[in-house]
Amino acid sequence: MINLKINGRDVSLDIDPDTPLLWAIRDDIGLTGTKFGCGIGMCGACTVHVGGRATRSCITPLSAVDGAEITTIEGLDPNSNHPVQEAWRDLQVPQCGYCQSGQIMQAAALLKDIPDPSDDDIDAVMTGNLCRCMTYVRIRSAIRQAADGKKGVSTDG
Amino acid sequence: MVKGKFSQSVPASNLTRRGFLISMTSAGVAFGFPKTSNAAMNPAAADGVPITAVGDTFEPTIWYWVDTEGQVNVNIIRAEMGQHVGTAIARILADELDVAWENVHITLVDTAAKWGTMVTGGSWSVWQSWSIYRQAGAAGRVAFIDAAATKWGIDAADCTASNGTVTGGGNTITYGELVSEGLSRTFTADELKALPLKPHSELNLVGKDVKALDIATKTNGEAIYGLDAKVDGMVYGVPLLPPTRIGSSVVSIDDSEAQSVNGYQQTLQLEDPSGTVPGWVVVIGTTLMAAKWASEKIVVEWNVGETATVSEADIQQRSRALIADETAGSILDTGNTDTAPVFASAADMLEAEYTTATVLHFQLEPVNATAFQNEDGVWVIDTGNQWQSLCLPWLQKALNVDAGQVVMRTYLLGGGFGRRLNGDYTVPAALASKALGGKPVKLVLFREDDAKFDSPRSPSVQKLRMAFDADKKVIGMEQSAAAGWPTQVMIPAFMPKGTNGEPYDPFAISGADHWYTVGAQKVRALSNDLANKTFRPGWLRSVGPGWTNFALESFMDEAANKLGVDPVTFRLDHLIAEGRNAGSVPNAVGGASRQANVLKRVAELSDYKNADLPDDTGIGFATTFGQERDMPTWTATAVQLHVDRETGEVDVQKVWLVIDCGTVVDPGGAMAQGEGACLWGISMALYEGTEIENSNVRDRNLNTYTPLRMIDTPDLNIEFVDSTEAPTGMGEPGVTPMGPAIANAIFNAVGVRMRHLPIKPEAVLAALEPSADN
Amino acid sequence: MFRSILLGSVVFGVIGFIGFLIYAHEPAIDPITQDNPQGFDPETVEKGRILAAAGYCSTCHTAEGGAPFAGNLPMATGFGTIYSTNITPDVETGIGAWSQVAFQRAMHEGVDREGQHLFPAFPYNHFTKMTDEDVDAIYAFIMTDVDPVPSVQKENGLPFPLNLRFLQAGWKLLFVDSGVYQADASESDAWNRGAYLVEGVTHCGACHTPRNALGAEREDDRFGGAEVEQWIAPALTAANPSPVPWTAAAFAEFIETGSAQLHGIAAGPMSPVVHAGLRELSEDDLNAIGVYLADQDGAHDSDAEVAEIVNASLAEGQPDKSYRMELGERLYATTCAACHYNVEQIVLGRPDLGINSATRFSEPDNLIHVILNGVTSPEGIPGVVMPSFRTAMSDEEVAAIAAYLRASRTDEAAWPELSQKVSTIRAEATASE
Repeated sequence: MINLKINGRDVSLDIDPDTPLLWAIRDDIGLTGTKFGCGIGMCGACTVHVGGRATRSCITPLSAVDGAEITTIEGLDPNSNHPVQEAWRDLQVPQCGYCQSGQIMQAAALLKDIPDPSDDDIDAVMTGNLCRCMTYVRIRSAIRQAADGKKGVSTDG
Repeated sequence: MVKGKFSQSVPASNLTRRGFLISMTSAGVAFGFPKTSNAAMNPAAADGVPITAVGDTFEPTIWYWVDTEGQVNVNIIRAEMGQHVGTAIARILADELDVAWENVHITLVDTAAKWGTMVTGGSWSVWQSWSIYRQAGAAGRVAFIDAAATKWGIDAADCTASNGTVTGGGNTITYGELVSEGLSRTFTADELKALPLKPHSELNLVGKDVKALDIATKTNGEAIYGLDAKVDGMVYGVPLLPPTRIGSSVVSIDDSEAQSVNGYQQTLQLEDPSGTVPGWVVVIGTTLMAAKWASEKIVVEWNVGETATVSEADIQQRSRALIADETAGSILDTGNTDTAPVFASAADMLEAEYTTATVLHFQLEPVNATAFQNEDGVWVIDTGNQWQSLCLPWLQKALNVDAGQVVMRTYLLGGGFGRRLNGDYTVPAALASKALGGKPVKLVLFREDDAKFDSPRSPSVQKLRMAFDADKKVIGMEQSAAAGWPTQVMIPAFMPKGTNGEPYDPFAISGADHWYTVGAQKVRALSNDLANKTFRPGWLRSVGPGWTNFALESFMDEAANKLGVDPVTFRLDHLIAEGRNAGSVPNAVGGASRQANVLKRVAELSDYKNADLPDDTGIGFATTFGQERDMPTWTATAVQLHVDRETGEVDVQKVWLVIDCGTVVDPGGAMAQGEGACLWGISMALYEGTEIENSNVRDRNLNTYTPLRMIDTPDLNIEFVDSTEAPTGMGEPGVTPMGPAIANAIFNAVGVRMRHLPIKPEAVLAALEPSADN
Repeated sequence: MFRSILLGSVVFGVIGFIGFLIYAHEPAIDPITQDNPQGFDPETVEKGRILAAAGYCSTCHTAEGGAPFAGNLPMATGFGTIYSTNITPDVETGIGAWSQVAFQRAMHEGVDREGQHLFPAFPYNHFTKMTDEDVDAIYAFIMTDVDPVPSVQKENGLPFPLNLRFLQAGWKLLFVDSGVYQADASESDAWNRGAYLVEGVTHCGACHTPRNALGAEREDDRFGGAEVEQWIAPALTAANPSPVPWTAAAFAEFIETGSAQLHGIAAGPMSPVVHAGLRELSEDDLNAIGVYLADQDGAHDSDAEVAEIVNASLAEGQPDKSYRMELGERLYATTCAACHYNVEQIVLGRPDLGINSATRFSEPDNLIHVILNGVTSPEGIPGVVMPSFRTAMSDEEVAAIAAYLRASRTDEAAWPELSQKVSTIRAEATASE
């Protein structure tokens, strides 16, 4: 039995502990916003937060997250209004949208660690997230916009 | 102090044991779709369920209804794969209908026969929908105005409609109220065609910025893709793919080692009357990983097909042999095709061969399908697909049922790019379900399987020749292109015939029939039979124009260089809107002059003549007409790049891209398509490409297949020509000029001519180093 | 480690003699008759709990999935497998029949109640430094708070003559410096407290000090670093390859939280040492250990120097558009950098691999282990994980990343035969599962 907390909810999973976290989230817990792309941790579509850090769930065995706290795209913000999500909508970043949950989770983690990233910083952290529609120009802009928005809040406040 | 507190693994956080248990059996139906699914979906809704009409509806055509509250539901037959096509099409309709945008909703429909041909590809969607949805919208507007005029006893000419309200004679009434009062009117095809359409200047929604309807659910995990389909009681299937795409058959299956895998159920040897997936084996498990882990322990022996050892080099050699045979292939109608005497009498000529490697779609959502037989005995296929009308007959044949006994429910596509035009992946799901008596089966191809089973862009070989007279004037041109032909393999009836009566795949040759005036012109399309039987060639974002334009536009630069003319000037000199290049109404108004226009504009933006570039840096140009002569999207690009002479590495620094696609319906969406297509073009030119090895693609995942990523993204400057002409396609055209512009820029930077895509650093380096033989 | 300890026994087997047999004889101590002795005062029991944790007794004395302290954790050696003993208060199979004196003798002299010499896999050479008072506290804790669990120790798979326990007596004679820790008056109280803990209950040297041919900790290379279970237990001396010195504060942070911002995390065999263990000690004790260990490596706090090293490493970690030119760099840029990239300062939980010891050891084991198996929730920073690339990457790909980091972020010589090493570690980790 693996116990974890996902989006603030306690969950016990009685499935094979070798199951990748991704499939436990999608098929057993039923949250399908997290996507499967490559299965080898090289596209980022499966990115969730484990302990607040962006983590590729497709190569993280369920056994590794016993006792951990996980956040998926569904739990990033109760009203889907995380500054990154707002910027994503404002700039209409998604095309097919399939990679975007992972992009948003990665971007949210990026801004938590590096609140005012340069383009180089964005490139370094986001290059692990493949977008096959190649929405990179807008992802970059949206991250900058989200960063600026957050800055605004903190200086105003 | 609690006894027994100590254990090897101490949970990091205090879990409450009241947490609920989730196990295999308790995972229920996630989205509340009934087993007989309602087969249509709304990408703007969290649960995907389309809006429900309030009260009666008025349905002037099959394309939409309006309810008593004035809500408009637009039926969309195109797949959503990132182009926000539902939004663009609904805008077209809503503009003519004249309703408030916030009242407009979309429904992605099922595959009922009434919708006609369902295909999302070729960059056709907006172009084909433009007239139909405008007329449909106008029909509603006219019907509402007429009904109001009748109600008020005044002349319809004295009434106007705006924002879902009719006004006239001092009265106003909303569309919703008119529906409440009872409204039914239908229009014949002739009546629809005769309806008055708004002049361009009165369009309120078309050409204006809008938030696409499928954006919000793609930022919070609510958007539902094929891989998210969930049907009560479903099991999972993972395939074991035969060693060749065609011609392999199963000799034996040994699943004894798999018996130890928890959740493994059985292994199915598929019998496929449709011949779509010969030699397939599907492993069934109660969970996806059970099926996957079991599949790794199952040993299948196949009789291998005849192409088992075919390599990329074999296929390319076959193409060269075909090109060398002057009698082979189909000749396109390009006016005077009799080039032989011109070349025989030419004072000088230029000849070059260009090749491109196999390219993978690598759409991020691997192909998958969920199939089951519902309570009415109808087979339901839940999947993302671009060409349902192509795929349904395969499914009928595979399941041995009549039309109408199979329905496809089109989910959002986690990338299309042409991969899902070929719905071959739905057939094994259906066959597996059939083998299990109609039980729901979710068939998932893991990434490596998806790549191996891809219908890749065929490798190609092209030979180009240009003849010059004594005054260095171009008097003739030939372009022969040999490759695998997707249309021949999957829907041969779709192939037109050339001037010599031979059919050709337009998707494998378009682009070569260009708008340059070059005297006698012969365009020859050759079908590579070895490619066709080795890997099932696919349509991939721009298909043939991805390779024909690489050759053509590289060659135009080579010709300009030979003649010592500026390559932009050389092109402009031959883009003359005369004769067959004069253009035609409604789609190609202006002809070659519009291509010249975008080229001039991009030359101006790049300011290449005055650019003070560092060493080994160059700007290269290319211009294309997008996809097809009868739906030209005029594009021209300038690419600035730097070549590292030490490593051969090409660094794309800046891109200018000018596009004329007629009326821009959704500016944000069009720009997004332009950005994505442009980067795709760069990616295929420099970073992608694989090879066929032993009948299959060599690269199956991102460890070796390396598309463009964020860090590779150059500075993009994309501009649209302001136009009121009919809208043409936007999905693919941006791809087409990038490869040749990069090759031309490399030549301008370091003086070497790269004639193979992708252009890898090793090849640049090899070209830069004087050959050891010399 | 166990292999060399046992080798030592062989040598003694060869040189054994009668007098030695007499010397080696230890009497049995009578069993205590009452069921688990009770009546220890709660403070003593609590103190014992903390000390048992600091000695991470349960880590070795608990089998995977087994009851705590019930023993039978297999320890693979080159000669056979030995199993840890049951130290629950079970009378028949545990130490329920042991008197306090018998327990003291085991801890201080490495002899069990019946008089049998214990294998030095049990680090009595360290526990001998502990005061009677502290040993008695652990005894009180076990007898009071640990559930008695009947569990018979599995038979050690050692061949003759390695299985002759009396041979261990000679080893002791040569290598065990018996007796309680004696304070060094020239050092501070904190230093002495740290030394008492490190040399005694936390037995750091058992892993971090290399052993001689006879399997004893080498006095001439104390804390010089050693290989343990295919992991590197880093040197705790100036020989430690970390470019950022391990300061007293860094040590204290590391053993309290499982992570040090400028160094990395406790993974592999070190993880339970921290998490099942050291962190239970008081703040003062953790700091004292830091003081003592920092004195071993000679680290002095120099913020400017550290900042320079960190900045240099961060600069080297900047993204480079040429990342595609080399396999290791490409894989790093597309799979590792998303989490391991830092800008102006190193964020906790974003380890900078340029200054991480794992990329700088003479052996690549630790780096390979972590890439292959990741970091699980209980390891390192609790609740934070690193994925496992075991199923995602080939040996060559893992090797390429390791080689890239080594070449681009350190001045150390390239690791030879990396791919083969990955293959070996991959196979061993699989076999031990």
